This record gives sequence, C-alpha cells and structure tokens, in this order.
Amino acid sequence: MSQGKSVLITGCGILSAIGQDCGQVLDSLLQVRTGVGALKYLKTEHTEFPVGEVKLSDEEMERLMGIAPGSPTTRTALMGMIALHEALGQAGLSRDDLKECGFVNGTTVGGMDKSEQYYLDFIENDSRNAYISTHDCGSCSEMIADRFGRFKMITTISTACSSAANAIEMAADMIRLGEADVVVAGGSECITKFHLNGFNSLMILDHEQCRPFDAGRAGLNLGEGAAFVVLEEASHAAARNAKALACLSGYGNACDAFHQTASSPDGEGAYLAMSKALKTAGLKPSDIDYVNAHGTGTPNNDESESQAMLRVFGKDLPPVSSTKGMTGHTTSASGAIETVICILALRNGFLPVNYGFSNPMENGIVPNMDLNRGCKLRHVLCNSFGFGGNDSSLVISAVE
Amino acid sequence: MIMEQKTLVKILSAKQITIQNPLCEDWMENPLSYADDYVRAVDPDFKQFISAGDARRMGKLLKRALATSLSALQEGGIENPDAIITGTGFGSIENTELFLDALVREGEQLLKPTQFMQSTHNTASSLIGIHTKCHGYNSTYSQKGLSFDSALYDAWMQFRIGRIKSALVGSHDEMSPVFSGFVRKAGHVKAGEICSEAAVSVLLASGGDNAYCTLEGVKLLDIPSEDILSKVLADLTAGGIDSVMTGMSGNPENDSWYGFLDTLLPGVPQLRYKPLFGVNFSSSATGFYAAACCLRNGRVPSVLTTDGKAIKCDNGILVVNVVEGRHYSFSLLKPCGK
Repeated sequence: MSQGKSVLITGCGILSAIGQDCGQVLDSLLQVRTGVGALKYLKTEHTEFPVGEVKLSDEEMERLMGIAPGSPTTRTALMGMIALHEALGQAGLSRDDLKECGFVNGTTVGGMDKSEQYYLDFIENDSRNAYISTHDCGSCSEMIADRFGRFKMITTISTACSSAANAIEMAADMIRLGEADVVVAGGSECITKFHLNGFNSLMILDHEQCRPFDAGRAGLNLGEGAAFVVLEEASHAAARNAKALACLSGYGNACDAFHQTASSPDGEGAYLAMSKALKTAGLKPSDIDYVNAHGTGTPNNDESESQAMLRVFGKDLPPVSSTKGMTGHTTSASGAIETVICILALRNGFLPVNYGFSNPMENGIVPNMDLNRGCKLRHVLCNSFGFGGNDSSLVISAVE
Repeated sequence: MIMEQKTLVKILSAKQITIQNPLCEDWMENPLSYADDYVRAVDPDFKQFISAGDARRMGKLLKRALATSLSALQEGGIENPDAIITGTGFGSIENTELFLDALVREGEQLLKPTQFMQSTHNTASSLIGIHTKCHGYNSTYSQKGLSFDSALYDAWMQFRIGRIKSALVGSHDEMSPVFSGFVRKAGHVKAGEICSEAAVSVLLASGGDNAYCTLEGVKLLDIPSEDILSKVLADLTAGGIDSVMTGMSGNPENDSWYGFLDTLLPGVPQLRYKPLFGVNFSSSATGFYAAACCLRNGRVPSVLTTDGKAIKCDNGILVVNVVEGRHYSFSLLKPCGK
C-alpha cells in the first residue's frame, strides 16, 4: 500500500468531564482527577449511575459560543462547537481558510437529547418542528461546522463508539490522496436518556465508579464530550508556518464480525485494527511506548481487548491505560477525546493513569498506574471499538 | 504524493429493495406508480437470504440491507468483500422510534435492549460483516441525503489508496408512519414527492467479468462557489458524457438546486429517478443504481426522462446529487471498456 503524503496534527480541541480545553484536561490528567460523579445536567430517573458530564449547561454553552437563546441547537452540537473552536484557534485557521478544509464528524446520538424532550410535540403539534431537523447525525455536523464558516466538504461517520476514530482515519485518507490539504476530524456526543437507558437495558453500566481492567469491574460509566484534531499535509503546514503538535503515522480499521454488542473472546477485530495501524505506520510493536486502551470497564471489552493486546505485543507490552475512569465513556467522541489525550501525553511527557484500577484481572493486562512524569514518548497507540465490532486504532507519533 | 495509477473500479452488481419491484430491473419497463405520498418498500421473500429465526429479530432495514447485500455479492461472484461501507440517514428508525416512544410514554424502567441495539446506525454494516465473516474495513456514514455518496466516496478512496480490491457499498433507510410525518414537517421530503424507503447495495471491484459499468470518480462538496462547481464539472466530463442523473423530483425548490446544470452542462439531457423511487435519505443510492442499470443495458428507459426522447448511453452518466441546496456529490459512471 502506498503511503502518500504525511499527515500532521496542527491543532486540537477538547471538551470533557475533566476539562473544557486542552490545558484543563492536561491538568486533570496530571492530577489524576476524575470527572465522573453524580448526575447533574441530564434529567433522568436513573440518578443511581455515575456519569462523566461536561460541567456546563446548554445555556452556558450557548453563551460561550454566542448562540442566541432559543435558536434550535443540541447539546452534542454545542459541545462540538466549543471543541472545534479550540482546535481551529490552535491551528491558526481563519474563517477564510475553511473553504479549503474538509470536516468529518463522528456522532451517533446526534440530536436525540432534543428528540426525547420534544417527541410528543413532534407528533401532536408544530411547536418544536425546528428540532426535527436537528435529530439526525448529519445536521449535528452541519451545526458545528456552520458556526465557523464554510468548509469544502462535510460528512458524518456513525460507527457507534469508534465514530470519531473512523472520522480521523477518513480525514487522513483524504490528505494522503491529496483530496484536501487540511481536514478537521473528530466527534461529539452528549449523554441522553436514550442511550443511558439503552446501555442500562444491556446491563453494561456500573453503579459505581468504573474500574477498567480491574478484576472487580462491573461495567462502564457514560461520559460525554467532544474533540477535534486538525490534520494537515506536511508541506502545507510548513508553508503557512503552522506548528505540528504530533503526527498521525498509522491507522487501522477492522471488523470483529462477531456480535452486534459483544466483542469476540480473542479480540480478533481489535487485533487486526492494531496490527493494521502498526503496519501503516511502519512500526514494530516494540516501537509503541504507550497504549490508550478502549478499556470501557465492561467485563467483556476489557477481557477481549486484553487478549488482543497480548496477541499484538506479546512480551513487549508497553504501558497501557484506559482514561475512561476519568472521562467516562464518551461513546462516539471517545476516539477523538483519547487522541487529544495521547497528544497531551506525547507533548508533556507522561503516562495517563488508569483511574479506578486496584486488582488485576485474570488473564488480563495490568494497566499503568504511574504518571512517570518526564518520560519520553515517541509513538502511542489509541484504540476505539464500537458496537457491531467496528474496531479502529490510531498511531500518533511525536514530531521533532 | 501517491504516484497514482489510474484506479480501475468496476460495478459488478447493484441491487435494490425500494417502492419498485425488488431485486430486479422491472422498473425499467414496467414501473409501479403510486398516488399516495407515503409508500413503503416492496419487500421480497426474505427466506432465500435469512432464516426465519434471524428474520424475526431483525427490523425491516436490516432484512433489506442483508438481502440486497447478499444478492449483490452473489451476482458479482464475491463472497468476502475487502470493505463494507454503508450509508443511512436515520438508521433503523422503527426500532429507534419504538425505544423512544416507550421511553417518553412509559418511563425509564422497562426498555428493550434489542430495540436499542438496532437503533445504532452501524448495525447494517456490522450485520453484513458478521453474516459474511468479513473482518476488513467496515464503516458507516450518516449525512442526510449524502449518506450513500459519503460511503461511495470512502470506497473510492480505499481503492485509490490501494487498500482494497473489492467493496460492498450500500445505503439503507426505512420510514415509519410517525417519522414520515416528521420528515414532511422538517422539509426533508417536499410537496409532490413520495416519502419512501430504499435499500441499495452495490458491489465494486478492481476486476471481474460482466460488470455493469465502471466508476471513474467521486467528489463531495459543501456550499461550493460557481467557480469550483464549474471546475469540478469540467474535470469530470472531460471525456464526454451522454446524460446527467439528477435528483430532481418535480418540487420547484428541490429542482432549483440543479439549475447550475443548465448553465454549466448546457444541452446535456437531465434524467430523474425520484418520481420512480421516491424520496428518503438513501435516495441518491437509487439514482446511482438506476444509472448503473442504464449503462449495463446500454439504454436509458423513457421512465427516467421527462419527454420520452431517446438518450444515448455510449459515453457515460454523471450522477449528481444536491442535498438541501448545500451538499453536492458527483459520481461518474462509464460503460465498460470506455
């Protein structure tokens, strides 16, 4: 396979339970501070579940983004705008520059937060019709993008919890093929009653703080948030003196082809995704200095992902952690949120800690619990796995 | 820069379950016509594709997605495509609606996991992956009426980058009575248009015999300037085309979005498929399918024209889709050997 142009990351933006920009998220990671706690913003009967909510109301986010109160918008779109704002600012891209940039967003929930609120109005009257148009995934991407200008093209990937990772992969393909010099990619997803109840019906929510890779793990904590990275072709970045934060050196997408909501015992899809990512990066397993695992905290995922990592890395298993104990599982956004976390780790020389872990699981990996500040990371791997076995891995590398 | 050789992509097969007779090309000669403005797809007998037990657990979208996929794979002679890429605007909206309705009306205590599982947009792509045991590239796009086009664009890139030699690309949307009302209110389906359902699967490969046609290029644009449109059209039509397959439906607002074709491709006959297949988020897949069928048969049936005049099929068809006046997609299909 031809490599094509190299893909730099020249901007990133993040909004999550552990911070509302890169600086705050970095601080939380270094302090090993969780953002998971009691429900505050979502109105649900299920107050028993801890969640990783973004600590802003919709109204506060509207104010931050200068959206007039009452304009039809959704929480997912608002969160996406805040993260995109930071990413574009960091990359130094102006409104005018966007005409040459692609935009690939990942979401699955889309505007469900408003649909579950106004569903009966949609049926019975015309008072909330504007929110019918914000229900679907594509409209969410349009709202996020339109806040900043006109992009060259827009599309939306919806592969459940690997949506944002696949958005980043598609964006990288576009750059490698010369379809665009700059593509902004990532994902956004708010917590809704719809999927809180969906995950609850599947019995994969932990009633306590989640514990990825722990023997006593009992499920995931839902989180929410958004993150975007600006992917840019190297010579284009050089020509406009854009600073590279990192480079996307490899990526892989594979299908577990096992079950709609469960992962295979041997983690075949995850194994293939990681192997492809290493291969496209031209790296050996021993070149990887850290793995940001999907690590949801469900018994099934962590076991399957452990097997897959042991198959890929064997005795060369690098430090591994799941950061979902701090952020919660940010579902469609998680691939981008964790990509930004990986970039922060690369640039600031530390290993994110697997918050919530205490006892090793049988036949599993033992996650990293030491920040190891001052360490030098060259290449890190970031895993995102979705329902349906949509498994994706990204290799993010330091730039000199 | 990738030193790219010309990428050869053939359409080996294309299958539909729509408001026309399913899994066949009857519509070319004997189209079904409807007076209603909301019409559900004509389902085939699913038994030949899916066991009764499996079928009971699947919503309509999943059954149709699997049937069109397996039928396309069978005709194209490929069991395990290298990539499975799917578009859907709403996903399995019937199960989504059942879950949402129960949530809103009955509260948060007795909700059904199967409905939730099927509400996720990528269930079709992953179901096809599970059924065909394909561990390769698998992705799902959900960008309103641009969902199929996005999936096709991704497949086109996968071929160009050299990652795959075959891809099953589909787009699937079902429409419940309740959501058919919603999409009217939202203006996704307009006055004079039939709100419909569609499942389309297309098998693409870099080789193979008896192909319908070849795919020569795919382009997506958002809110392009006239200059950009002009350049893109000039590039795509440099080798000559016989007609443009448009998403014109007869609705004046929708059709006005295609006005640029009169200026930029003057004299090129404009075909329309929406009167035959109706309108839904997977509509553009039916247009792509219709164009591939025309090239396969070497003729454009009069049902796709407004005046019944004969239109050649020698050089190729440009499939043009405009969504909400802002998203544009272009895909160029050529007869094999051109």
